[in-house]
Amino acid sequence: MKGSKMAWQRKRTITGILFLLPFLAITCVFILYPLYNVIRYSFFEWNGIGKARFVGLDNYRMLPTTEGFWTMAQATLIYAVGVTALVVVAGYLLALALDKTGRFRINRTLMRVMWFFPCLLSGIIVGIIWHIMYNYNSGLINYLLNAIGLESVNWLETYGVTMLAVIVASVWIQVGMCAIIFLAGLQSIPRDMLEAAELDGTNRWQKETKIVLPIMAPSITINVITTSIAAFKAYELPFTVSNGLPGYSTRLLTQRVYFYSFETNKYGIASALSVLLVIVITVVSLLQLIVLKKREDIY
Amino acid sequence: MKKKWPVIASELFFLFITILIWIPIYYFVIGSFKTREDIVMFPLSIQADMFSFGNYVYVWENMKIGNAILNTGIITVGALLLTVLVSSLAGYALARIKGRFFNISYQYVVTLMVVPFISCLLMLVRLSTKLSLYNTIWGCILIHTAWHVPFCTFLYTGFMKSIPVELEEAAYIDGCSTFKTYKVVFLPLLAPVTATCCIRSGITIWNDYLVSKALLNSVRTPTLMVSISSFFGEYVSEYGYAFAGIVIASLPITLIFVFLQKYFIKGLTAGAVKG
Repeated sequence: MKGSKMAWQRKRTITGILFLLPFLAITCVFILYPLYNVIRYSFFEWNGIGKARFVGLDNYRMLPTTEGFWTMAQATLIYAVGVTALVVVAGYLLALALDKTGRFRINRTLMRVMWFFPCLLSGIIVGIIWHIMYNYNSGLINYLLNAIGLESVNWLETYGVTMLAVIVASVWIQVGMCAIIFLAGLQSIPRDMLEAAELDGTNRWQKETKIVLPIMAPSITINVITTSIAAFKAYELPFTVSNGLPGYSTRLLTQRVYFYSFETNKYGIASALSVLLVIVITVVSLLQLIVLKKREDIY
Repeated sequence: MKKKWPVIASELFFLFITILIWIPIYYFVIGSFKTREDIVMFPLSIQADMFSFGNYVYVWENMKIGNAILNTGIITVGALLLTVLVSSLAGYALARIKGRFFNISYQYVVTLMVVPFISCLLMLVRLSTKLSLYNTIWGCILIHTAWHVPFCTFLYTGFMKSIPVELEEAAYIDGCSTFKTYKVVFLPLLAPVTATCCIRSGITIWNDYLVSKALLNSVRTPTLMVSISSFFGEYVSEYGYAFAGIVIASLPITLIFVFLQKYFIKGLTAGAVKG
């Protein structure tokens, strides 16, 4: 009896490995192997055709001295922090609004659909739309500003303002998705818990901050992590809205990776930059996981 | 009755914000039926004498958009089928079969989700040249699949863990093999999480720009986003053309969304029980 149980267990393990095999094969070939190559070539000087020359950490040492590196670092940080903060705060408020039902309120299914719709559009498409809307002479936004008596703003060619413009477009495309995740969290809160709190005489502010917010902590963790990772990975939308202008002030790390990968032949530097992106994203997600988990425990 | 007016006021404010965020969509949809001059002069209105299908005719004839829709559709459907197949199998193994190998594999899945695609793009292009996948639709399908299976496997694993083990044990007692249990007991229960995977990955793959930009020849095998982007780059000031192209490119996903709206938004979070 015991022998047959072990044989069964072994057979099961073999079946399990067979089940996993397609996954392991395809990810090893198309993710792990390229990643390994990126890391390897970041230690080489290589122009893509000739022989690669091992240079140790030279590529990494050279990174900060390449032209515009610190401008890029600043832009990437501002973009990621700005987008994450705005998306999560706006998404939370939106979810609270979407969660309310009752008399005199607009149909919530309709509102959900309206707010979610921008998430269906691609970064390229949204980038083109906002690029056109931001146009100084013929864009919609300056038209509206003029209509209410304000001066035109040169959205795409003013230092500082352009970054804001790119962030607004990114928030527009992402806030719906974030709100849907928050909404799922809000709807899982037991109603009788809130009713009990009302009976105990808590006011609305206490209810939102002392009961709802702690329960929502896991959803907040998820949204902060996914939004900030997406912000560090964003390429199409910032590229189409501003193309790094004015003067590289909105050119992000991803755009720099793409530029070095496909428009120069400095593959060593391109690989070192790519590794930098991997490290940034890994560190950011780990840090947040630790900090936010701790916060959850405090509550 | 005391609380009627605050509710109405807050609803009006909510409605106002909602209209505000819909202005860009309204702007490009009506803009696609107008000439450039009318878009600039009267951005938010449309009258009968402005209305024409001229932009659509031009875009259809000059952008090869029919071809691009076909290619994008093939890539999306192919990659989704493969993704669902690969990740549901892997998810079953990770959720149900015990052992060190499976624990390590699960860590591997989670780690893969963090890797940014763009940092591997250069090496992927070189790799696909070596495997003679460069400039083929197959190459695109495989790359999309590889980069979507980690997240989908993660969702499948989480979902399958929430299915009671008793269901399975009953099947074993009746003499089913592991594969047969998967097929008979699990597959039918997987509709919600499969929907989540298809929606999430489907949107991303349909809207993809980088993979097809780097891997495909945009003249021989155009895809939607690459065509639109290069078309807009060529006719920067022809807003009408850009808007018509955008409407055509977003229409398929919008239609699916409108018809399956009920399942769509539910499906987004159904699989991701607690994340």
